[in-house]
Amino acid sequence: MKGFITLLLLGLSSLTNLSYATEQAEEIFKKLAPSLYQIRLIDHASGEKSSIGSGFQISSDGLIATNYHVISGYARHPKKYKIEFLDHQGNKGLLTLQSVDVINDLALLKRSTEGDMPFFSIANKVPIKGEELFSLGNPHDLGMIVVPGTYNGLKKESFNDKIHFTGSVNSGMSGGPVVNKDTEVVGINVATSGNQIGFLVPHDKLVALFNSYQVSPPESIERQMAEQLSFNQDKLISTILNSDWHLKHSNADKEDALVLAAVANCSLDENTYLSSRFFTGFIEMEFRYMQAKELSDTKFYSLYEQHIKRAGPANKASKDDVTEYQCHHDIVAPINNGMKRKSIFCTRAYKDFPKLYDVLYLGASIDKNNQALVSHFTIAGVKQDSAMDFTQKFMESVSWK
Amino acid sequence: MEIIIEEISRAHKLLGRHKFLKQNVSIGRGYQNDIIVTDPHVCAEHLHLNFDGEHWIVSDQDSINGSYLDDSKINADQHIIKSGDILTLGKSQVRIVFPNHPVEASVSFSPFENLINIARNPLVLAASIALFAIITGWIFYLNNPLKVTFTQLLVPAISMTLLFAVWPGAIAVISLLTKHDTRVMSQLGVCFAFFNLMWISDVIERFVHFNTSASFPFIWLLALIPIGLAFCLFWFNCNIGFHMSERRRIVVASCLTVLLFGGSFLIQLSKKPEFNPRPKYDATLMTPAFMIVSGNSIEEFVEDSSKLFEKSAKTIKKRN
Repeated sequence: MKGFITLLLLGLSSLTNLSYATEQAEEIFKKLAPSLYQIRLIDHASGEKSSIGSGFQISSDGLIATNYHVISGYARHPKKYKIEFLDHQGNKGLLTLQSVDVINDLALLKRSTEGDMPFFSIANKVPIKGEELFSLGNPHDLGMIVVPGTYNGLKKESFNDKIHFTGSVNSGMSGGPVVNKDTEVVGINVATSGNQIGFLVPHDKLVALFNSYQVSPPESIERQMAEQLSFNQDKLISTILNSDWHLKHSNADKEDALVLAAVANCSLDENTYLSSRFFTGFIEMEFRYMQAKELSDTKFYSLYEQHIKRAGPANKASKDDVTEYQCHHDIVAPINNGMKRKSIFCTRAYKDFPKLYDVLYLGASIDKNNQALVSHFTIAGVKQDSAMDFTQKFMESVSWK
Repeated sequence: MEIIIEEISRAHKLLGRHKFLKQNVSIGRGYQNDIIVTDPHVCAEHLHLNFDGEHWIVSDQDSINGSYLDDSKINADQHIIKSGDILTLGKSQVRIVFPNHPVEASVSFSPFENLINIARNPLVLAASIALFAIITGWIFYLNNPLKVTFTQLLVPAISMTLLFAVWPGAIAVISLLTKHDTRVMSQLGVCFAFFNLMWISDVIERFVHFNTSASFPFIWLLALIPIGLAFCLFWFNCNIGFHMSERRRIVVASCLTVLLFGGSFLIQLSKKPEFNPRPKYDATLMTPAFMIVSGNSIEEFVEDSSKLFEKSAKTIKKRN
């Protein structure tokens, strides 16, 4: 009986909480609706919407913030699309792309204005864990909505900061603002991994983009993207290169029919979205140890060759984005450590971002009759120098123990 | 005066040869004739050949369908025969030659005849077919990641062997159809000997690929081995199956080689996608026993690989 009452009480309290939150959400929505937009990418050829998202005004002169991925089609093919906004009263208008941050998935757009307009103010402090936030947006083209949720700190093990938000962020809400009780923007909706787990771009990234835009707007979006990609990848590679490498075999033994294999891999848990068919900024490494179980050496090596035959890139890219791979292979026998191997190195260049490449490396040990170690990595969107520094360090770190 | 009459097919292949020491020779469908032709378009009493002391003269016996010279419409009646003339009666043909008709020079045995004889020796032939089947089964075994039983290997080994026997069989059939000696055993013997040589060339190719780097400039030379082997095989096929001049044999063998390699090249080309997102590299691996080079240092590898960046950047400029 006691338990029943507790349950009932719990239910009641959460009910009251909910209605309070709804009231508050309504109030926030009313106040902010004029500065909230639906952002649409219109295909010139068909006149149809090719993607929709949300956006919000951040200055009185018509500057609107959204996600890069909402307008990526335009950023990559400006001639093919136009960007339109739809405000809370159903008015439409054209937008121009001003600046992007591909790494943090942000973009600044601009609409024409007649006089000063209301806009969102951006918070100057980070929320505290558990603080109630309100996510605004336009999911599924159903009209503007408010979703209450809580701030849960920054996402763990993420190279570029993301806020972990508990609340349903849906696909059309991308680019919408997330505000605190004081209606200040603390983040921008960016992604969801289902089940009430959403991710937000922290507000300081937007502040940085806005400030640098105020100082000097970028001359070319394409060049700006290339610089951001290089800079991010340099930062990532140098972080990896400067850390100590402890390569260990995981004990994830997989029973193959004839060959015992142990695989250890690690990869960056995020990549940079450039368009629906072009991703970059990704790193992965894999080590595969194989051992023959009662097999002749010839058969073992024949199966081993099949294992290393089909390496491919980890990032998606299309014909318009990259060249085909060029490859080099050789027998490598380092003087100081004993592992003699066949090494394969392949690279392809980015067509629109000069000096950026995808690289792929594959090393196959060839000095033991019945055991083998395949060492493999791919890096997407990297400059030649960083790629080669990485390759050298990677190759040096692989040896028999 | 002696006269030789050859019954020939429409394609001028010899069907039968008759020699007469008479002044008159009769040709027709009736059984009283010297040469009896079983062609319904030939009359019972069709044609006489008469020697007038100096020449042989054709005399048509008022046949329904007439007698003509070769395939022409020239009536052969009263024609003075020259050695080598061909007469058409109904739908049949005969060729008339005199004893002094010149013959082609004798063909000496080709120096390869000994090799062909070794290859067609039943023991050698059985051994090379067995070797081929064993290698096929072994390769199937090597490439199979699962456990396989001996009987599972028999099926691909035997079916592949039968499949490869189709080629010598087909040539033997063509020889038969063109009225040449079929010599099936010789064709089989030579073909399987060459198929086994192809396996050896495969091993050599893999060995070189395994031991050299991508910058090895003479890798294309390796492709010449199978091309050369295929040419030799086709040359032998022609030599065994058909009587043809040396020049013609080389032309036919070259054409077949071009057809084989050019055809497979075209098929590969047509299958190639417009854009390949995956890298193409040489993944050849052999056991450490086949590794004979000492290998480069990491620095050298990194330096060589660095050259690829410029190379791939250049391909962008080319396309634009």
